[in-house]
Amino acid sequence: MYNYVEDGDSPARAHAEGDEAKYDAFMTRIEAGDKIEPDDWMPDDYRQALIKLISMHGMSEIMGALPEKEWVPKAPTLRRKLGIMAKVQDEMGHGQLLLRVAEDLMAPYGKTREDLIEDLLAGRLKFHNVFHMPTKTWADAGMVGWLVDGAAIISQTNMLDASYGPYQRALQRICQEEVFHAQHGESIIMALAEGTDEQRAILQDSLNRWWEALLMFFGPASAETTGSSKQDIMIKYKIRKSSNEELRQAFLDKYLPRVFSLGLTVPDETVHYDDKQERWIYKQPDWARFKDIIANKGPRSQERLTLRTIAYDHNRWVRQALAR
Amino acid sequence: MSDETPFYQEYEVFSKRSHKTPLQYQFSLLAPNDDMALFMAQENFMRRQDVVDIWVVPRQAVRSLTSEERQKLTQRLDNKDYRTTKGYGYLRKKWREKEQGMLDEKEIMSWKEVKKT
Repeated sequence: MYNYVEDGDSPARAHAEGDEAKYDAFMTRIEAGDKIEPDDWMPDDYRQALIKLISMHGMSEIMGALPEKEWVPKAPTLRRKLGIMAKVQDEMGHGQLLLRVAEDLMAPYGKTREDLIEDLLAGRLKFHNVFHMPTKTWADAGMVGWLVDGAAIISQTNMLDASYGPYQRALQRICQEEVFHAQHGESIIMALAEGTDEQRAILQDSLNRWWEALLMFFGPASAETTGSSKQDIMIKYKIRKSSNEELRQAFLDKYLPRVFSLGLTVPDETVHYDDKQERWIYKQPDWARFKDIIANKGPRSQERLTLRTIAYDHNRWVRQALAR
Repeated sequence: MSDETPFYQEYEVFSKRSHKTPLQYQFSLLAPNDDMALFMAQENFMRRQDVVDIWVVPRQAVRSLTSEERQKLTQRLDNKDYRTTKGYGYLRKKWREKEQGMLDEKEIMSWKEVKKT
């Protein structure tokens, strides 16, 4: 369900000298809206931007299942339990699709799924800021489905026409399933919003805690904030259409009126829509904290990575047994 | 993980929604053997979809078009209208002048029954 965060390193390389004709032919195809397939020639910076985007997206799906799965045993009813289990399974399925796409792109570098998992566990491969956060109450399970997946839907639908064929096709399937996730989240939120005072209180508390992470979700507006940004290359190569800030504004446009309609507030008294500028005004989140969080120094980063390491180590014998 | 490098194989996954529909390409997956590939295919792609059949094919068994072949071979059908009814579309007007209907695909494919004598 989740998209890409800007995190700083590995400057993109340009295409090699002597490849100008191939590059021009490639750009002609990009401009014409052609889909690029894994064995087509592509410039290195395109391949690298895709690997980074898609491996992070895939791992975030898998790491994103962890905060939600904590609520499987604690779901309030059997129906809610079945719903959240189905969602957790979907997230793992999305991870499988996306890792497959990343693996085919990495094949020329001789890298495989094991390398991706090792990179994740060693902290070289980032996962999305929202999955470093705790899910303290059942309202958080709803908040993840409603607003975290809502933010993910905004950024993923923006790439439904992406120039890279396999990613674009994976996103079609993923976005269709996200519709179910969004409604699963809305259903939890709606029950709490129309519930007792205590239920409304845990819902408001949840939104207060998630607000900053949701603003951070789309990444900083420009490279100056965190040192680097892949926005330009993503737009140039038609991987996505809009900038981080445009996506954040689209999210606020779609979701803030719904937040207010439930009688909820956001923990920022400056939030309002400016008719002249035609945009939402909001207080910037703490971008230094954002950098820390995605560097695995968030409130739950280490616990979640440990859980992943345990699962990987404990299941090694299964993989070995199956391989024979 | 050198001890696990040969563990996974790439499989291409196809499925059939009903006996009337053609086999449809789903996606690829990694699995250690055919049976696991089939199981993974079901879990990955058929969570909300009934199917009557699933095929998993090791990718190395598939000879598909290379990038160069795709550019060359998939855009060559722009000068072959003599092979299709499109190349004979002018007949409709001719028949109309003679007050006859066109025996087009729709008409011909509807001729399952003839009058019993």
